[in-house]
Amino acid sequence: MNHPPDPLDTALEALRTSTPAQPESVQHEVWRRIAHGAQADPSEAEAQPWWRRLEAAFARPAFAAAFVAACLLLGLFLAEMRLTRLQAERTAALEQSYLRLVDPLFRATDTPRAQQAVHRP
Amino acid sequence: MKRTALILTLGLGVGAAGHVLWFNTHRPVAAGSLDTQLAWMQTDLGLEPDQFERIKALHERLEPRLLELAAEVDRLRAEFATFERERLEAGEVDFLKVARAAAERRTLGRECDASTTQLVAEATRVMTPEQRKRYLEILAPALEDAGHSRAF
Repeated sequence: MNHPPDPLDTALEALRTSTPAQPESVQHEVWRRIAHGAQADPSEAEAQPWWRRLEAAFARPAFAAAFVAACLLLGLFLAEMRLTRLQAERTAALEQSYLRLVDPLFRATDTPRAQQAVHRP
Repeated sequence: MKRTALILTLGLGVGAAGHVLWFNTHRPVAAGSLDTQLAWMQTDLGLEPDQFERIKALHERLEPRLLELAAEVDRLRAEFATFERERLEAGEVDFLKVARAAAERRTLGRECDASTTQLVAEATRVMTPEQRKRYLEILAPALEDAGHSRAF
């Protein structure tokens, strides 16, 4: 029993006949590149300049979002460090000012001792 | 490249904005006024509200006199510095003035001692033993100084 020809087969056959034959070198080159791509040497990616790799990394939305989040966390961490230092300085300043209030003579220890007089003729 | 620059700028901008915002919202108020000092004491010593009120009242009562004494101390210190400068530069000392200032200094030292003792004694009376211990630790530099010499 004969089936009617598949329209897809007809279209593919028409494409094959209308496409000029490729030179052997082109086919060879295509297969070589496919094979090369399949083996994809990782050292080749590393050989790229750093800005290319950076671009490639930032092209991934997840990496870009992680970078922005990391920047935010770093900013907050540095702010906390500054605040901790400021708080320590403030506590020391408060202690000193309270000591000066309680004991008006407290600064006495800061007074320089007497120096040797310069003898003039 | 444009996208990379945009993300880098965005990251740095977000980081800087977060830093400034966090720092400014959590920044402690500057030390200086009696209220700030008392608030710090309340936190540091863990004072109960009634203790805090009594200690605050005590400090507010004695503060004017203590500030007055501190101003006197500053004035006398400046006077002694002038004597010292004159001694170094001109090689001369007005002994009468120095003796008068020294007498004034002794009197002032005694008044300072009395005021400090009164404040510390009344403040510690309000405190628990643990609070008293911590309070005296804070005051240790001044108390040690008082133990050695009251000259200034």
